[in-house]
Amino acid sequence: MSFIDKIKNLIKPSVFEDVFVAELVAALSPERVRFDATERFLHSHDSSVFDEGNAGPICFPITTREVQTIMRISEKHGRSIVARGAGTGLAGGAIPLGAPVVVVMTKMNKILEIDIDNRVAWVEPGVINLDLSRYLQPFGFHFAPDPSSQQVCTIGGNVANNSGGPHCLAYGVTDAHVLALEIVLPDGEVATIGGLDPEPVGFDLRGAFIGSEGTLGIATKIAVRITKNPPTVRTLLLSFSSMRAAAETVSAVIAAGIVPAAMEVMDQRITIAVESFVGAGYPTDAAAVLLVEVEGLVDGVQIDASNIREIGFKHGATDVRVAETDNERELLWKGRKTAFGAIAQIAPDYYLHDTVVPRSALADVLEKVNEVAERYDLIVMNVFHAGDGNLHPLLLFDAREEGMLEKVHAAGAEIMRISLDAGGVLSGEHGIGIEKQAYMDELFTTEDLNHQNRLRYAFDPQCRSNPGKILPAGHSCADIQSLKNVPQGVWG
Amino acid sequence: MDLKLDSEELNTCVHCGLCLPHCPTFRITGEEALSPRGRIRLMQEIQTNDQMVTKEALASFETCIQCRGCEPACPSGVPYGSLIEQTRKTLVQENRILPRWQRIPYHVLTRPRLLRFLSRLLTIANKVHLIPKRFAIPKNIPFFNKPLIPSGTDVYLFTGCVMDAWQRETHQAGKRVLEHLGFGVTPTGDRVPCCGALHTHAGLGTKAQEIAENVINSLSDNERPILVDSAGCGAALKDYGHLLGTEEALAFSSRIFDIHEWVEKHIETFAVSSKLSLRVAIQDPCHLRHVQRSHRAVRNVLEPFVDEVIELNDDGLCCGAGGAFSIFQPDLASKARDQKIAVINEKQCDVVASANPGCSMHLQQGGIDIRHPMDIIDEAISLKTIPSDL
Repeated sequence: MSFIDKIKNLIKPSVFEDVFVAELVAALSPERVRFDATERFLHSHDSSVFDEGNAGPICFPITTREVQTIMRISEKHGRSIVARGAGTGLAGGAIPLGAPVVVVMTKMNKILEIDIDNRVAWVEPGVINLDLSRYLQPFGFHFAPDPSSQQVCTIGGNVANNSGGPHCLAYGVTDAHVLALEIVLPDGEVATIGGLDPEPVGFDLRGAFIGSEGTLGIATKIAVRITKNPPTVRTLLLSFSSMRAAAETVSAVIAAGIVPAAMEVMDQRITIAVESFVGAGYPTDAAAVLLVEVEGLVDGVQIDASNIREIGFKHGATDVRVAETDNERELLWKGRKTAFGAIAQIAPDYYLHDTVVPRSALADVLEKVNEVAERYDLIVMNVFHAGDGNLHPLLLFDAREEGMLEKVHAAGAEIMRISLDAGGVLSGEHGIGIEKQAYMDELFTTEDLNHQNRLRYAFDPQCRSNPGKILPAGHSCADIQSLKNVPQGVWG
Repeated sequence: MDLKLDSEELNTCVHCGLCLPHCPTFRITGEEALSPRGRIRLMQEIQTNDQMVTKEALASFETCIQCRGCEPACPSGVPYGSLIEQTRKTLVQENRILPRWQRIPYHVLTRPRLLRFLSRLLTIANKVHLIPKRFAIPKNIPFFNKPLIPSGTDVYLFTGCVMDAWQRETHQAGKRVLEHLGFGVTPTGDRVPCCGALHTHAGLGTKAQEIAENVINSLSDNERPILVDSAGCGAALKDYGHLLGTEEALAFSSRIFDIHEWVEKHIETFAVSSKLSLRVAIQDPCHLRHVQRSHRAVRNVLEPFVDEVIELNDDGLCCGAGGAFSIFQPDLASKARDQKIAVINEKQCDVVASANPGCSMHLQQGGIDIRHPMDIIDEAISLKTIPSDL
């Protein structure tokens, strides 16, 4: 310990905190820097079930330069930072660990430039996903990644988590729709990675950044690919008397060479909950429903739809309904996209899983998931992106019950192992965050993880950007210094 | 601190965040503390973990417009309106919000003569620029109002407080429309001076209950339907069952209809004779769309009388009026209004229709030409009848 550090240790920690906050205030403005207990409490949480968050000062920057300044001041004080969008993450990616500066990007929400000819839009990270698509509507375009939370989640958050969504089956996830990024590195340097050219030269740093969950820096401008709206869309709703039949239909459709825009399955419990909220005419007596969307030119869509119908019946569909109007179609999708929220009609808390298994293993894995839930005496619901084998089992519980949270986590861990055993991966689209860090060891070798850490180190040598996430403790530089502890204050 | 919230209601929120984009204050600021999820999380923390109410938490509750746009957006069916009303009620009881001097205006609302007298003073004071602009007092408060004369006993027309003093012309128009449909109308007038909606929103819940009982007593000598042309009042009257929790109140609430709902029900009998060449954009008052959820009636009723009914592209996001909100939170209110005006300006319309006095006054201040749907229909039916064979 140096002499200066020794002196520092004699002074009350709050003094340093005050100086730190004062510098942030001077750089932004008093109303855009908060350090009160209430704001820190609010920003210690997101949509996930993790409650170990502890936010430091909260900043609401409005320009790249301000983000840069926040980074520099934080570096000077040896403090870490966590970027936050709408706070809808389910893996705890935006939960601040070790009292970092929480950089809330929601005020940077301008659509900067639309270039229809080149199919590019430059946006700030705080733009809400659905707002962009709505803005593009009159031009006949949209932004393809459509997570279920698209009406609220931000593009910046989509980039951080490499978000998917129902329609990513045909279009690909966020990575396929981001061309270039302006980022602020943890040391405050501003860099542009990727490019608008069709064949950018050099390493694909853009690809490394997307899905890095804020551990490599903060994106401040994003060039997204915009997608032409399809001329025809048809949505089919297939009902099944067993989950297995639904899962097999999904595999059969893909095996037949059809790539629908989306294929979504919901089990009976979730269908009942959803139907009571939207009233879209979902069959509440079916064991499983499969929502399939095909799009393209009229004739092709017609052929695909009738083929899917046939495959469905062959695999035991009890009913196939085609949405007649846009309104009907929209209602069906609204039901699917609000499914997670709708479960509160049944229990006050849920733990939503996100794993990916090979499509052919869907039916078996689902059965095992149900077994686990039964063994732990938990209600499980299944709603998932069947087309890419992306499972979302929901465990329902009431956190007020003693020991419940531990039980839910234990069941969750088993579900994760089942998926891995079936040849799957840890996360489809929600990210690793805090949630799945401990399981990284089971998917990757030590060598793999060390390489990932080296990549991280290249961007963020001090591990100050969203510390304590993704890489498990042993492989991350995070635990060295960034997880400093600052008392949470009166609301502790 | 115990906010006296129903713990089951409080626990329905799973923090998914789907309400955020439907909240006007979140839309303006992008801040969690100014979002429904943030407010609910604070309520939970304060009540369940017995935390104190910090000044930031107070600000979070006070900046809620209570538009309840988050309710239809919530897949879990969180009764947000009920939570925020109870929170404010407890905070008022504990003297944490709404200092006593701010409660004075609420007493005036239930005294119609005093209200009219003060309105006249206000008009004069406003004319000579004695009232600061930020209070947003409308310029066109009438000095004298023609009395509303009963024309029969088929239905009641609920006249209310401020609307009766400041916008009685709209009541007259609504009454003429109802008469045109063949209904004899009894205006409720001074015997039912106020519905208590503003009191409920302010957190003066006990006073609101008192008012509600008075309203029920005054109008329970018969079973006539009670029609309301102010969305805010209609929502409050329909909520009496919940506010008082009695069978009688519940039965009373079932007699309440928004005037558009009523006209829509009888639209068959409407001999549409003339159309106004107007393109009308519909601004849905929150308490009609999100609370009463009967905003479709406005379109169905207006459509036959105008060239075109235009939808605004904002899912009914609040304009920021919120009863007294625009006076207590002028900054947020005007920003919410700017958002609304931007959405209105996207469309080619001649006039905006709004079925709530608060919204129309607030938007008028922003330079929007706005009328009550009943005023528009009244003008249409007062035109010379065109022979049907043309």
